[in-house]
Formats: sequence, C-alpha cells, structure tokens
Amino acid sequence: MRILAIEASGPVAGCALLEDGTLTAEYSVQYKKKHSQSLVPMLDEMKGMVDLDLSGIDFIAVTSGPGSFTGLRIGAATVKGLGLALDKPVLPVPTVDSLACNLFGTDRLICPLMDARRQQVYTGIYENREELKVLRPQCVVALSEIVEELNKLGREVVFLGDGVPVSEKALAETMQVPYLLAPAHLNRQRAASTAVRAAQLFEEKGEAALVSADDFRPEYLRVPQAERERGDKRNYKVFV
Amino acid sequence: MSTNMKKTIVETSCMEDTAKYAYEMAVNAEPGQVYALIGDLGVGKTVFTKGFAEGLGIEEPVSSPTFTILQIYEEGRLPLYHFDVYRIEEPEEMEEVGFDDYIYGEGVCLIEWANRIEEILPEETIYVVIEKDLEKGMDYRKITVVKPE
Repeated sequence: MRILAIEASGPVAGCALLEDGTLTAEYSVQYKKKHSQSLVPMLDEMKGMVDLDLSGIDFIAVTSGPGSFTGLRIGAATVKGLGLALDKPVLPVPTVDSLACNLFGTDRLICPLMDARRQQVYTGIYENREELKVLRPQCVVALSEIVEELNKLGREVVFLGDGVPVSEKALAETMQVPYLLAPAHLNRQRAASTAVRAAQLFEEKGEAALVSADDFRPEYLRVPQAERERGDKRNYKVFV
Repeated sequence: MSTNMKKTIVETSCMEDTAKYAYEMAVNAEPGQVYALIGDLGVGKTVFTKGFAEGLGIEEPVSSPTFTILQIYEEGRLPLYHFDVYRIEEPEEMEEVGFDDYIYGEGVCLIEWANRIEEILPEETIYVVIEKDLEKGMDYRKITVVKPE
C-alpha cells in the first residue's frame, strides 16, 4: 500500500510517502512562504529523492479540515489536481484527528488546539494508547468550553497545535488537571501523521474511506457568523 | 465595544486632499490593521483607496473590486488586501473569500462598504467614514476616523 499525503491546512506545508508501513519520505516546512508556492515544488523534490512513480500510489491522503480557508483550498486543489491527473482517489483525514496522531502510546488525553481566531479553537479530545480513539470529535468552540470538559474528565492532558501559543496563558489560569505541551517536533500538523491515519482509516473502512478527486471538498467546520456574533451587532453610526 | 475609541475629523475641499490624507494614513499603517471605509456612492472611497495604495508604495492601478470582492497588492511596503463588499448580502459569504486569513494576517486590509459586514469586523477595526455636505460645496468632504486606543 502506497500512500501519498499532503499537508496545507495550517502553518505547515508538507508531503509524505508511506509505503507498506515504512515512512519513505516526509518533507515539512513551517515558514512564511505561501503554501501555494511551496507545496508542489516540495512534492516534486520528494518524488525525485525517492524515485517515486506517482502512478504507483494507491490514494492521496489530505487533511480535509478544519484549518485556514486558503490553506485548505490549496491542499484541496493540489490533491484534486493530482487525483484527476493520476486517476487516483482521495482519502480525507479530519485535521484534528491527524494532529492527535502525532502522539502515541500515552495514557494521557490528547487535545489538539488549532487557532480558529475570534477567541475560538478547533479542537477535539482523543486517546491514542494503542489505537486512536475519538472521545470528542473535532469541533470549533471557545477555549473555555474544552477546558471545562477536560477538567470534568479529570485526566492528565497533552496539548498540541498552533492554538497552543495563544491559549497558553488561559490554560495556565483555568486548567485544573495536570497538562503538558507537546514539543516542537510533535506540535504541528504532519503529513506523516495524516498518511498513518489514512492507512488506519482504509484498514477500518476500505473503499468507504475514499472519495473521488472530483467530489472531494474541504470541511471548514465554521459556525455561521450570524450565530457567533449575535448580540454583538455593532453600528458605526453610534460613534461617528 | 469595550475599547476606548479616538475620533478624528478631517475636512477636505478636493479629491487631491482626500487622496493626500489617505496617503499619510498608509505611510503610518501597521501590519494587521483593518480599515473600514464607509460612505455613499460617489463620496470618494476609491479616491481614498488610491491615495492609500500610493502611500504604501503600490504603483499598480487600483480600482474597486466590486465583482471580485478582494484584490491583493503585494509590491508595497505591506501587502494590501483591498475588499469591496458592496455585493455581499450575508457576512457568511465572506468565508468563501477566506476573510479571516486576511484580517488576521500581516498585511493591511481596506474594506469598502464595510458597514455591510460589520458583524464580522474585528474589534480593532479603524473606521474611516466619508460624508458629503452639499451646503459646503460639491467637493467638500468630511472624513471621520475612529480608531480604537
């Protein structure tokens, strides 16, 4: 089984190749250059490095959302383009699930935090002792809501994701259970984790985990603005 | 709104003065700022925007992206994300444009007709409201700038 994975949902641009349980290659860059400029050249370099014949891959895995709108669309455009050209399907992996897969073999709860702006985070609650268990599926909520739930669960937690830096202070003030912050090599999206998760999903669900390149769409997971901002309606005329 | 707002009123008597004021504003603009440009048709929002773009060192021609919603200019001192949301009916439509990526980014956003999407403007939005006063002449404009402290 050969899986090509693409990462563009957040601050990291990346790609990975997983072949029968071996991570043949992973290329990961977290730098200001736009994913639209870096992703395909990175893929090309990786391909050259391992003499990859793209027609030999089984499917293309990608973090399908949530994430940054432009990032998700760049990832989607890339995998749709590849999929259509190679006639290969896409295996969408929920972004927060992929993040959770960065950690393994721990009894602690795994709680990814992605910055969703507007005082919200994309998050979820997972276990990954031997296999990934989704305790709370990915969602977009205020940080306080996920903290409350974690405090109720009463177990130690590891946090990871680009939402950690903006949340650090609030976590220190409101978390009542012990927690850790994952280190640099584990705290952002990784195409390798997406590839591994995709392999697990394919093993579990088979073809049901796949979608045609044509049909694949990102999932933004945004609560409609009107609901979020209700009660906060401003009118500039008030102060002009 | 919880923050303190500072109000400045500027009166201009011709388009060049409006453009010049916008130019100065852009010279002092900082990454991440969002300017809400509000005023009726013909009041000078585009004149203002052109002056603003020049102040950032953008030499490309600038016109209102009424149909494309967003136009991006990257060759200036800071990236300029120029929005025209006249055609937007619901703030939710702005998600498709990737609105959050720009307003929380490191460039400067200038949003014409921002009053149409007020609910989703960030707290720190700087309001620039341009009004005519025909009693003071056809070319007179009153520019009210409201900036959070």
